[in-house]
This record gives sequence, C-alpha cells and structure tokens, in this order.
Amino acid sequence: MSDTLNYPDVTQWAVPFFIAAILAEFLWIAIKGRGGRYETRDAVTSLIMGAGSVASGLALGVIAWGFFMILWQITPLDLGTSVWVILLCFVLDDLRYYWVHRLGHRVRWVWASHVNHHSSQHYNLTTALRQTWTGTFSFIMIVRAPLILLGFHPAMVLFVGGINLVYQFWIHTEAIGKMPRWFEAVMNTPSHHRVHHGRNPRYLDCNYAGVFIIWDRLFGTFVPEQAHDRPDYGLVHNIGTFNPIRVAFHEWVSIFKDMTQPGLSLKQRFLYAVAPPGYSHDGSRDDSATIRAKHLKRHPEDQGTAGFDRR
Amino acid sequence: MPLEILVTMVVCGVVAIAIILHMSGRSAVVPLTEDSATRAWLRHSPDSAVQSARPAATGHAALITTEKGMGIVWCFGADTIARPLDTAKIEPHPKGLCLRFADFSTPSVTVILSSQERAVWKDAITAAPSPTVRSQKTG
Repeated sequence: MSDTLNYPDVTQWAVPFFIAAILAEFLWIAIKGRGGRYETRDAVTSLIMGAGSVASGLALGVIAWGFFMILWQITPLDLGTSVWVILLCFVLDDLRYYWVHRLGHRVRWVWASHVNHHSSQHYNLTTALRQTWTGTFSFIMIVRAPLILLGFHPAMVLFVGGINLVYQFWIHTEAIGKMPRWFEAVMNTPSHHRVHHGRNPRYLDCNYAGVFIIWDRLFGTFVPEQAHDRPDYGLVHNIGTFNPIRVAFHEWVSIFKDMTQPGLSLKQRFLYAVAPPGYSHDGSRDDSATIRAKHLKRHPEDQGTAGFDRR
Repeated sequence: MPLEILVTMVVCGVVAIAIILHMSGRSAVVPLTEDSATRAWLRHSPDSAVQSARPAATGHAALITTEKGMGIVWCFGADTIARPLDTAKIEPHPKGLCLRFADFSTPSVTVILSSQERAVWKDAITAAPSPTVRSQKTG
C-alpha cells in the first residue's frame, strides 16, 4: 500500500493567479462600467478571511490529515495513482463536495463555518476568497471518509479537492453572464453560483455544486438564474461588521447564546446547534421555507416558478 | 511554495488591492435618501410597512418607523444594514448617538447627528411603544 504520496498544493500555487484575476476583474468593471461592484473594506475583509483560512489550514490541517491517514491504514483497498483513478476521484470528490455544501446550508453547526463565505453583500472574485477559519471544528472532514475507505489515497483526495476549490474561484463574478448552453447544462458557472449566493427567497438553499451542476439537477436543488429577479447578495440578516474576527466567529457565538438560554429542553438546545439555520424553539425566527412561504403570500404570482417549485 | 514567499505575496497583494480600490473611489459611501432608506429597510424586513423614513443630514443613516416599531438603516460600505431598535441601547456620543445591539456580528453603530437631530432622534426612539429600549443619561 502506498503510504507516501505527494501532490502540489494547488490552492497555494494559485495565489498569484488569484491576485492577477482580481485586478483584471476590477479593471474590467472600472472600464466597462458594469459587471459587478467593488468596495474597499468589503474586499479587504474578504482577502483577510482568505489569508486566515490558509493559515488555519496550515495550523490545523494536521488534524484532518491524521484522521485520513488512520482511515488509510484501516482500509484494505488501494486503487493506485493512475490518471483514470485521479479522474474518478475528482468526480466522486465533487459529489462529496455537493453533500458537504448542502449540509453546510442545512445543518447550523456546519453553517457556522460556511456562513462567512456568504456574508459579503458583493459578488466578485474577492468574495471567492472569503473563506472559513473554523472548518476543522465543523467536523465535516468525516464526509471524506468514504473516499479514503474506497481506496483513494488521502493525498489524492486533498489534491482533487484543491483543484475543485480553484475551479470555483472564477465563478464568483458578475462580469460573466451565461456560458454556452452545453456548458451551463453540466458545469457550475457564474450564473448558477450567483443564484447560490442570492438571498432572494427563490434562491435560498439551492445550487450547491462545486464543479458539476449535474448533482443539483439530480437531487432536485437546481434553480436557474432569472433575468427578472437578479440575485441580491449576502445573508438573510446581513452582518454589520468588517472585523474579520467577528465575521469568522459570529455564528458560533450565536449558537452558544441560543443553546445556553434558560428554560430550554435538551432537545431544543441540541436543535439550536444542528437544525437548519433559522430554527427557533418558539417559532420566532424564519428559516428558508418560511421565508419562501411569506414571499408567496406577498407575491402569489410567483407560485410554481423557479425556486418556488421545489420537491 | 516556501511560506515566506506565500506570506509576502499575500500581504503585498492585499495592500496593493486595498490601495487601488481606495484611490479609485471605492471607499465612498452612497448617502441615503428617504426613498433609498425605505427600500433598504424593506430589503431587510419585507413584511413590514414603512410609515416614515427620516435620513440624517449626513445621509449615512436613517430612522425608520414601521407598524412594529422603530428601526434604523445605515450605510455599510457601498451597501446598507438595517436593524430594529426595540432592544437597542442608546448612548450619547460626541458625534451624535451610539446604538448598541446585543449582536456579536453587529455590535453597534455610531450615527453622526447635529445636536438638534440628536435630540429629535433620541426622543423619537425612546417615545416609540416598546418596553425594552434603554437610554443612558449623559455622564
């Protein structure tokens, strides 16, 4: 069984490209007068969150790596390192990404890590870098376990995961409208991902794809971008801070406050940690379903249209 | 990639982007009008009915009256943030008023007001029919 395997850390090597692309996107917007917006403090906050995410990965990555290597020692399977195995690993890891991302929006404990990526009211390439500092504490590394137990080496799994993340950088832009139809049908695109970042009622909790949008089509979570309902970016309740510490930890603080309220049952405290965002023991808050229902009450003409027709 | 190269690249990249954005005017705030403040509030609370929107003279914040009570909208970068005032703490500030929220993600907002505006805003907020608005007296 191959124990030592080395692949390049693609996210680190992509940093010069990220910087160049951000400058290029900004220049495009400045010259053309369209294709997105930039604001200084928002962009700097996003970039600091990105740097912090890399630092967090360097400092805490050993925990996930140790877990993966234990699984690698347990499994009797070893698929090797051929190009076909890498391609298969990439596709299956993208399926893994879809479910991790879906859990990230539907389980508050995981949302607490993912929420800061959605906390910008802008949508540009710096938004792509607004990443979590607390991913290790969400325990979502567990979802990678099946891939390793199936015989994909942990280094390969992390390598294809890195390529997956680098792919997603370019889709965080308003400068690109729609790609060719065949591309939009299969791949995640700026259009599909704008919808994902929209806080519009029709766009909540959809388009979880990493690289391939086919998973959303398969699992019923696909919503196409509507020309008449442009995505409004940010959170349902936008945060009023550019402080990266507050951005990184605010939802964790909220979970703690909610769980430690007096007068709750054990079940209610647990649900404040793991139920979908918006859960409240007394119904005082809205989750994405009630937000959509309230929107349809105000706008019954939207009943059955994209985003309001989910199974 | 060697860590020192990565760190240098990241720091220089962030600083360069910040300088370019600031020098190109991307730090400017768009002042609120009565109309834009109303729209900004409804973006936050689409179910409420806005009875009045009163922007401050600076245009950086607006006091909102709805059927459910008072709220505030303020400029946040190139965007806006809105919060109800039913549980806010009002504190005097040399530049106007400081409103504190029990919210780690949005701890407070300082509203720049003239002395006349400050009195009007403070009276409007404390007179609103909500038992939990607390006001600290000037020290």
